[in-house]
Amino acid sequence: MASGRDVRDMLGLPADADIPKTAIQKRPKPAAPGKKIQGVAREVAALYGERPPPVAVYEEKKTYRAKRQSTGPAKKWIQQPFLNPARNDGLVLKHWKRKPTAAQPALTNGEDAAMEDVENAPPAIETNYDFAKFNIPIDGPIFTDEEYDAHLRTNDWSREETDYLLDMVKEYYYRWAVIWDRYEYTPSTKQEPPSQENFHGDPNHALASLPFAPPKSRSVEDLKARFYEISAKLMKLRIPEVQMDAEQYARYEILTKFDPHLERNRKNLAAALMNRSMDEVKEEEFLLTELQRINMAATRLDAEREELRSRLEAPIPNQQIAAGLASFQSSQALASLFQQLFQQDRSKKRASGSASGPGRLSLSGADIIGTPTSAAAHQHSGGQMSSHANASRRQSMATNAQPPTPIRQLSPQTEHRFNVSTHDRLTSGVSFGADKLLKMRQAKSNVQTQKIATALAELGVPEVIPIPTSKVGEVFESLISKVGKLLDVRKVREKEEGECRILEAMKERRASENQGGEGEAGHSREGHGERGGDGDVNMGDGGSTTPATTAQREVQDSEERDGDDDDDDDDADMDADADGDEDDVDADGEADDNGDVDAEGEEDDDEDAEGEEFDSRAPSQSQSARHTSEAVSARAVSQGHKRSASVFSQTSNKSTKRARK
Amino acid sequence: MNMANATTAPNTNEYAGDEVSAIVLDPGYSTTRAGFAGEDVPKSVCPSFYGQSDSDAGPQYSFGENAIHDPRANLEIRNPWGSDGIVEDWETATKIWEYSITSRLTGARPGNPAKNGLNDAHGDAMDVDMEALESLEKPLEESPLLMTEPGWNPQKAREKYIEIAMEEWGTPAFYLQKTGVLAAFASGKASGIVIDVGAAMTSVTPVLDGMVLKKGVQKSPLAGNFVSNQIRMIFKQAQPEIPLTPHFKVASKTQVDAGAPAQATYKKFDYSPTDSFGRHEEERVLTEFKESVVEVWPGPGRFSNGTNEEIAKSQPGRPFEMPDGWNQVFGVERFRAAEALFDASGALTDPENPRPKDEHTIPRLVQAAIQQVDTDQRPLLLQNIVVTGGSTLLYKFNDRLAYEINAIYPSTRNKLIAPGSAVERKYASWIGGSILASLGTFHQLWISKKEYEEHGVNIVEKRCK
Ligand SMILES: Nc1ncnc2c1ncn2[C@@H]1O[C@H](COP(=O)(O)OP(=O)(O)OP(=O)(O)O)[C@@H](O)[C@H]1O
Ligand SMILES: [Mg+2]
Repeated sequence: MASGRDVRDMLGLPADADIPKTAIQKRPKPAAPGKKIQGVAREVAALYGERPPPVAVYEEKKTYRAKRQSTGPAKKWIQQPFLNPARNDGLVLKHWKRKPTAAQPALTNGEDAAMEDVENAPPAIETNYDFAKFNIPIDGPIFTDEEYDAHLRTNDWSREETDYLLDMVKEYYYRWAVIWDRYEYTPSTKQEPPSQENFHGDPNHALASLPFAPPKSRSVEDLKARFYEISAKLMKLRIPEVQMDAEQYARYEILTKFDPHLERNRKNLAAALMNRSMDEVKEEEFLLTELQRINMAATRLDAEREELRSRLEAPIPNQQIAAGLASFQSSQALASLFQQLFQQDRSKKRASGSASGPGRLSLSGADIIGTPTSAAAHQHSGGQMSSHANASRRQSMATNAQPPTPIRQLSPQTEHRFNVSTHDRLTSGVSFGADKLLKMRQAKSNVQTQKIATALAELGVPEVIPIPTSKVGEVFESLISKVGKLLDVRKVREKEEGECRILEAMKERRASENQGGEGEAGHSREGHGERGGDGDVNMGDGGSTTPATTAQREVQDSEERDGDDDDDDDDADMDADADGDEDDVDADGEADDNGDVDAEGEEDDDEDAEGEEFDSRAPSQSQSARHTSEAVSARAVSQGHKRSASVFSQTSNKSTKRARK
Repeated sequence: MNMANATTAPNTNEYAGDEVSAIVLDPGYSTTRAGFAGEDVPKSVCPSFYGQSDSDAGPQYSFGENAIHDPRANLEIRNPWGSDGIVEDWETATKIWEYSITSRLTGARPGNPAKNGLNDAHGDAMDVDMEALESLEKPLEESPLLMTEPGWNPQKAREKYIEIAMEEWGTPAFYLQKTGVLAAFASGKASGIVIDVGAAMTSVTPVLDGMVLKKGVQKSPLAGNFVSNQIRMIFKQAQPEIPLTPHFKVASKTQVDAGAPAQATYKKFDYSPTDSFGRHEEERVLTEFKESVVEVWPGPGRFSNGTNEEIAKSQPGRPFEMPDGWNQVFGVERFRAAEALFDASGALTDPENPRPKDEHTIPRLVQAAIQQVDTDQRPLLLQNIVVTGGSTLLYKFNDRLAYEINAIYPSTRNKLIAPGSAVERKYASWIGGSILASLGTFHQLWISKKEYEEHGVNIVEKRCK
């Protein structure tokens, strides 16, 4: 950017003739002092020409060190003598000081003369030394002889030793550890102001003339006690207690309250603490960590309880709540309530797992188990929630169980994918899936356990399930529960079968007694009229409604021909009914379980038919079996299981068959 | 104040310093350190050993590193210090100290060349002619002097110090401070417990707010010289005996295999150098050995405990070559030399060198010192354990020390403060003196010449506590 003029200027060539001289001279001047470019060599800066670039292209920080500005001749330093006011012996030392320049040149003309002056007979001795201000003498208690005699005299301390103590305190600025370390009082024989020199005079004379025992070793506490006592007494003398201001009184309190025995005991304890052995220290460390652990567990437990309580305190639209909080006052009631809520929540979980879509219209117990605030909010909002909201709340509930850590919410899919499971309650410690499975196999009684085992063996479920994942566990659990139910059902069936057989036998006997026709009619009447009201018929009804196999065997027993038909029916049942059963009872939607094994299907079939009967029978005897079977078949039809429809109508079929017979 | 750019007055608020050209003199058994207050290392470090050759004209003294290592006929090497860390021979001690000051400091002092009188021919001489010096003006008329003393210095010795400084050197002001306090200052601590393992003595000094707690001061002879002695014994008891040949005897050496006899040409002297000279020269080799081979068993446990020796054996050895070329790798032996500093039963003994006392080991010294301190101050002291002295440079010394102290006081927070640099470790007490004597607030503490004249020598007892 250098113009030709600048280059010429740099090279020292004469400036162009047509440019006015003033212009040349002006230009460098305003550039140099006006906008001094820092960090750039002068030569480089000159290349910028008259218009330096608007933006500086150097880094401010990397500037070269500023050249030492020489603002005249080198500064002179002299060894300035000074007097320290903190001393009283007039010691003159010399320290280095900048030689005063124009300010006080009056004394000397030339510098050489000044030097000589300083050296020969320093004329200007500095008298106000900067550091003298740090010389702070301390003040201790001061008293007169009269005061001492009147108030401060004790048998234990001589006047001399007291003075010595006060001197020491002053000397060592209240550093008691040092004072005690240096405290070497030996009573002097002469009654003169005590000094630190020890005059070893005649001890007899000393003992005779002084009313106290020879020097004794004093502990820090002794020294402190004496000193504080003096201070307190003098303080009280100077300022009566009532006139003391707060601060003074506080100090007075401290002084009077000093208890050397207490202090000594404290120190002994401190020393004992310090001198513990390694083992003791380790033990303490161990105990402390243990304590910490227990405390942490306790706070966690408290937090959990608190959480539970706060949930319970939320207004719950519940019968029991309606009955008043009083019903929750026993711990048993609380536990059962918790159990109930827990159960509701579980069934909720299942339901929402299979159910897709329809929003709920009513609040259920699970809604109530939320954080108290959210529960309250939900109630206000009328309880209409999508199943998604529902699910998320369930999750938040699960997180609430372990209070402080907020857990990222996962969608059900991701939860499934990453095998994340939420638990309402976790038992402490580690448990093995295999153990869990094993436990499930065991029933209360040995016989039952064996039955379960054989059932499982029949199903081809191995003794040891290779990979007991939680999913397998769930499936196994449901399987076991089904097995259990089936076993129950079988038991009942066998009982009923036995009854049937007895009745049959009775009937046969009667029939043989009363001639066949009537018996047939009775039988058909039984089938259609169902609960006629009399006990006999009722029993017969039970027999007629026994499931296909029972009927089958029955028939096989008596009539060979019918048996085939029944068999067909039975086979047809199996799958269809199994399905129906699943939907019905478990509502699990676990389709994969259905076709499991034939045996199961068969059993299911049994169970279904009979279960229905029991269900309907249990609440009220008056309900008709037909009604039930109709309802069941209607539902089965609605679910599109034609075959099962046929199955469910089986009872009537059978009865008609029998009737025909 | 040795700033590079000393054109601006230092900000007094910054370091509260005010220099009065004071000289700090820190005499020790092995070396005497001297320098100007305010500097960070002593300018003058002279051996405390001196050479004396008796002639008809009376004893001739030679001082300084060069003079005492020169093998001359009937040159005896002596040390004015007693083995208890107190000066015995005051006359020569004075001369050595004066030499250490004048050879480097006052002679080269800037500013007043006409006054110091040391700028003449004698200034650089190796053997300072004392008569010539005495005829001159007193060497310290311009400079206040701060001297250091061991914590157990008796009153007599202290009085002697001030007498020398005032009468012989003519210092305008004098002060005496304990090495322990100064070493603590050098580490920036006003309170702490100072463990100083020097040449002749090991000392443990509790310091509280810049004051020594006298009752707690502990000392023992288990220090650098003791370790040297142990090494000698290791050499002697080795099979075959390890030859200890000092440098001055060797003209040239050739390389030999490890353990093989040396093949060196030896210098021939038409006179035999004195035993004391030879011994002093051997000491140099031993110090070298200490620096490069000796290792302190770092703990846990003592070296003799359980399998520790086995563990030590499995560690790689360290080679050492004597001045005559003899060399060997030192394995487990190298742990034995300094073990006795911590465990008296680990010492090598022979009839001349009995087993050291248990209470002289460093852990016991620390324990004894702490015991003498007010209970409330003990934790504070243990938080500031200042480690100083040349012998603490032994390899792994601090590891072992930390282990031992933690074993005694497992329940307090014990912290070792050991400057990393060898210079700071060796010269800690001098550095502390340099700091102290350059503080503006310190200048009121000096004992002035006037006070000395008024009160006499025992003023030192009253003022330097
Ligand atoms: N690097 C090192 N390793 C081991 N020992 C060393 C080392 N450097 C020096 N020493 C030893 O340290 C001792 C000197 O230490 P120091 O200078 O602290 O002693 P001193 O102050 O002169 O003696 P004292 O304090 O006893 O009067 C000598 O015995 C020397 O052998
Ligand atoms: Mg030392």
